[in-house]
Amino acid sequence: METLAQTTLAAPQGDISFFALFWQAHIVVKIVMLGLLGASVWCWAIIVDKVMLIGRTRRQMTRFETVFWSGQSLEELYGTLHNRVNHSMAALFVAAMREWKRSHEGARPAIASLQQRIDRVMDVTIQREAERLENRLLVLATVGSAAPFIGLFGTVWGIMTAFQAIAASESTNLAVVAPGIAEALFATALGLLAAIPAVIAFNKFNADVAKAIARMEGFADEFSAILSRQIDERG
Amino acid sequence: MRAGLIASLAGHTALLVWGLIAFPDAESFSAPQMETLPVDLVPIEEFTQLRLGERTAEVQEEAALQPADTPDQEPPKPADKPGESRVEQPTPPTPAPAPTPQPEPEPQPEPTPEPEPEPAPTPEPEPAPEPEQAAEPAPAPEPTPQEASPPPPQPIVTSVAPRTKPTPPRPTPEPPKDNFDSTDIAALLNKVEPAQQSGNATQEPAALGSRQGAQNVRMTQSELDALRGMVARCWNPPVGAVGAENLVVRVRFNLSENGQVSSAPEVINSNGNPAFAAAASSAVRAINRCQPYSLPIAKYEAWQEVIINFDPREMLGG
Repeated sequence: METLAQTTLAAPQGDISFFALFWQAHIVVKIVMLGLLGASVWCWAIIVDKVMLIGRTRRQMTRFETVFWSGQSLEELYGTLHNRVNHSMAALFVAAMREWKRSHEGARPAIASLQQRIDRVMDVTIQREAERLENRLLVLATVGSAAPFIGLFGTVWGIMTAFQAIAASESTNLAVVAPGIAEALFATALGLLAAIPAVIAFNKFNADVAKAIARMEGFADEFSAILSRQIDERG
Repeated sequence: MRAGLIASLAGHTALLVWGLIAFPDAESFSAPQMETLPVDLVPIEEFTQLRLGERTAEVQEEAALQPADTPDQEPPKPADKPGESRVEQPTPPTPAPAPTPQPEPEPQPEPTPEPEPEPAPTPEPEPAPEPEQAAEPAPAPEPTPQEASPPPPQPIVTSVAPRTKPTPPRPTPEPPKDNFDSTDIAALLNKVEPAQQSGNATQEPAALGSRQGAQNVRMTQSELDALRGMVARCWNPPVGAVGAENLVVRVRFNLSENGQVSSAPEVINSNGNPAFAAAASSAVRAINRCQPYSLPIAKYEAWQEVIINFDPREMLGG
């Protein structure tokens, strides 16, 4: 009796490190785990990238607004900006000013529908900027919603194989049952590990992008009003 | 994008390395070593066997009740000592003739004649069950030699002792002591045994027996207790009557195979107490009210006919 008890106590010291859990797993579970790990890496790359991009965009907009409202001549501002690669508000401003300039350059200035053209150019620029900001956010959304299911699939598959192994070993000892289930649950853990940051980041970035676009639209309306006044004064 | 990818890869690698370092440390639960107790599963029937009587005498039924009753208190002891005394009595007779002629002044002559008449009366009034008692509690012969061996010349003392043991609750068995001193042994034996039976019977609230039961049909003590319990649940004992604790009612009734009472319960004892009629009717009501009784159908032979003692003392005294 005592020897029995001792053996059952000594047996369950299985290796449950990360690598052991991974290598013991079924091939399907391995693929699921690798996929989830890749998804997590990709998500975090996007998250880091977006954090930097949105922070940069916000800073650029603030800086441009201070410059724009500092009383500096629009011609001068256009002269400093139009050679660069511009983003967000600067891009809006450059696009509108380019259209303005082109309309006044020729022998016959086309001023009649200049206001509409400027509005349309700025709309297109806003759309392009929004697309740039929202780029790859859908990946976060997809990973956030699908990763738990993928992990669950790996767990179910792992538990299935674990139960088959238990049935084959004809023992219900917890030491036999536990490693298979721990290995299977590892897949769900990975799925959640990928999904939780993705969901949180997706929600946060969505809100940030919406805020930035609203800010650009506000600037576009104001700039459109200024240009409209100029057109009317000159015309 | 490249910066983000590099940062993400670096972060995941760091996490994995941390996991490699930290995760294997998962400590095993401290499982205290359990003491293993070997447990044998033994059918209770081996200990609480009830052999049914073979003959149709009423005394025999009471005798058949006793084996069922005695295990309740201390199964081996009361059964053993009468059995042991009876086992011993055959043995003393053989040495008895030898000592009697040799040392006359010894006190042994007294005990030795006593056993001699004893074996003679015992087979006659006693039914078959009693030898069976002696045979059944075979697992407990250990105490008997210890008690018996030190005083071999006094087997009667041991045989009396069990009779006085159950007596304390009851005043009636005490007179047998006086009778015993009078050395009229045949009369003593005839008197004592009914006393013992009645003493045991009254200590138990209910007893069960059958005249026609086949010998191999046995009811376990737990089954008997179950029947007792079923009846006792419906029984309203006559609490208020004068001398209610002495109103022991003995009822005999037949059961059909589906557990219904097939014949009208019949009160088979009587009592001078004016409240006895009420007590008897309460007992009969209890039997009628609680049917059907669920008992193992395989042992129908054993519970076809049932006799139950309704003893208010058990009920009132708790």
